[in-house]
Amino acid sequence: MTQNSDALIANLVGNLQPVKPISFARGLGYALSAAAISALAVVAAFGIRPDVLAGRFDPVYLIATGLFLVLGIAAAVTVIVMSRPQVGTDHSGWVWAAAMVALLPVAALIVSFGGGSDILSRESIAHGLECLMVGSGASLLVFAILVGWLRKGAPTAPDRAGLLTGIAAGSLGIFAFSLHCADNDIVHIGMWHSGVVLLMAGLGRALVPPLVRW
Amino acid sequence: MRADEATLARLMMMSQKGDKQAYATLLSECQRWLSRYYSRRIAPAQLDDLVQETLMALHNKLATWDSSRPFLPWMAAIARYRWVDHLRRLYRADECELVTDFAGQDDEPAIAARISIDRLLGMLPDPQARAIELVKIEGLSIAEASQATGQSESLVKVNIHRGLKKLAHMVEKA
Repeated sequence: MTQNSDALIANLVGNLQPVKPISFARGLGYALSAAAISALAVVAAFGIRPDVLAGRFDPVYLIATGLFLVLGIAAAVTVIVMSRPQVGTDHSGWVWAAAMVALLPVAALIVSFGGGSDILSRESIAHGLECLMVGSGASLLVFAILVGWLRKGAPTAPDRAGLLTGIAAGSLGIFAFSLHCADNDIVHIGMWHSGVVLLMAGLGRALVPPLVRW
Repeated sequence: MRADEATLARLMMMSQKGDKQAYATLLSECQRWLSRYYSRRIAPAQLDDLVQETLMALHNKLATWDSSRPFLPWMAAIARYRWVDHLRRLYRADECELVTDFAGQDDEPAIAARISIDRLLGMLPDPQARAIELVKIEGLSIAEASQATGQSESLVKVNIHRGLKKLAHMVEKA
């Protein structure tokens, strides 16, 4: 940097344009709208579960889907908060929601080791892969919206912001696809539905930081 | 006269609306504040560059300040981010030839101390903070830092690497 500070300040003042402060409510509104659009797209393309349509809810389905929704919202809120830097802000609340969701693959492992489910059958794997792919596809809109929001903002921890973007997008994406997937098996949900969150978290951690550094 | 939090916040609100006079005053105050903030935490020869980099970051991220929140913790988060980034770039470039004669005076008020760089460094384990201070801030060589701390040379390098990584994740911690 060669110019002196006074010249720089004069230059910056000359370039000043009015700005609209980025608001938390608007960011959350965008993220939730993206999640709702994704859910509607899944329902339109694949249809809704018959039992949900009939107003009957399986407890495992309700708990698992609810956990994904809570984790998705918690991670999205954290991403939006991270876009406005502030010394003294705590970004760790999402960890508790993630810990609760982590119980799903743990339960899946315990049940599958006990022989409670045939996880290696061709049908089981094909169905799982469908959930993994469509769930990840349903994550992309939320992913894009959150990356766009972070680029407008000033995240001071781009690595973590990327990870959380992936977690939020994956959780809300698999929540959307859960409206269609009629499988209530904890092994399927714990492995394949949680797999969407893991996959998107990995993608977010790998792809997002270079896009949001400033 | 040094501008206080309320004055800076008011100037910032006016700046966000496009008031150039308020913005010029705000940036001048920020420049003075940042020079004090970084003093003793960066080699004097690099102070101006870092202050100017931070001023440009403030300019580019004006919209990320919300008038319902205090101004100084916002600016401190940006200043800390730029400081850590600066140290990491030094680390990658392996430029350790910094001078050791620091003037600076510790006259920040108690509230500002909460958002200070010292507080951020204080959150690191002692060996990591010491290695970063000696090599990245005071400009000692790895061998000299090794002698001063009793850590092996490879441990000094590991502590710098791990410490910088941790700092990058703790910018907003108070």
